[in-house]
Amino acid sequence: MSAYTVDKSIDCKGLSCPMPIVRTKKAIDEIAPGQVLEVVATDPGSVADVKSWATRTGHQFLGTTEDGGVFHHYIRKSIPEEQKPETTFANVVDNDVLASKLGSDALILDVREPMEYAFGHVPGAKLAPLGQLERMLEGLKTYADKEVYVVCRTGNRSDMACKILADHGFTNVYNVIPGMSEWQGPVEQSEVEQL
Amino acid sequence: MGKRVAIIASNGGIESAYKVLNIAMAGVATEAEVAIFFTFDGLSIIHKQSEQMLKFAPGHEHLAEGFTKANVPSIAQMLEMAKESGVKLIGCQMTMDVMGLTKDDFVDGVEVGGAVTFLDFAYDADVTVTF
Repeated sequence: MSAYTVDKSIDCKGLSCPMPIVRTKKAIDEIAPGQVLEVVATDPGSVADVKSWATRTGHQFLGTTEDGGVFHHYIRKSIPEEQKPETTFANVVDNDVLASKLGSDALILDVREPMEYAFGHVPGAKLAPLGQLERMLEGLKTYADKEVYVVCRTGNRSDMACKILADHGFTNVYNVIPGMSEWQGPVEQSEVEQL
Repeated sequence: MGKRVAIIASNGGIESAYKVLNIAMAGVATEAEVAIFFTFDGLSIIHKQSEQMLKFAPGHEHLAEGFTKANVPSIAQMLEMAKESGVKLIGCQMTMDVMGLTKDDFVDGVEVGGAVTFLDFAYDADVTVTF
């Protein structure tokens, strides 16, 4: 599966400001929270505009790729409850602790979606999207008694992932809060590092 | 509550019309509440005959080609989109009287009001722009 799988794509090629934004707004209203919209545009102004628009409207700007003068912008529609994470898993650490674990033996598990991961993740982090985590547990067994740091964007999905891991006998699991939304450390942009 | 954008459109001409409507459309796209107060020559933007009335400024006629090339929608299309997106269009009663215009001269959906109608909206605005 490509990291760039989207739920909806709109073609704004040849359109100039403000039309790509107007179409983007309309399209985001038509998808469900958590889904990803791709905006294909040729207007160079759309690079700054789409990002600003997403920030302003509270949606998650994932990133932009360019291919021969054609821009592909990716936006994930916000999920209201993700804005205020309600975390209940007891073992919580902050981003600084995660930063101190870079290059150590600890497993850093990124439970966001593949595209979020592709546009920037903590170096060495392994991808295990929350929705697929249970299917991936078998491959993670060797980490059951090792340190596992679980990270997402705001601490919400990682909270759920920590509970799943704990329920399956993982004894040394930590939820990293807030996670990638506030991450100041180094990031890698790369295709998926499969487990 | 979201942001609020108050725009005064007091000039005619195609350039002004685009400035007004582009900002208005970008405003509603960013989930702002947008109202435009049309006064003096700005009234030509909402006039039923806007296509004949809105001209390029002298020396700017060559821009017509660029507008076509850049695939910019016509003023009428922009105005239609603005209305559909909920942009509030207010015609200035006083200048309408002075210029001999009535509500029937304008496209559907325009409301008519005085300076206070606009100010009432603008007092709570986060952004006010004048063209």
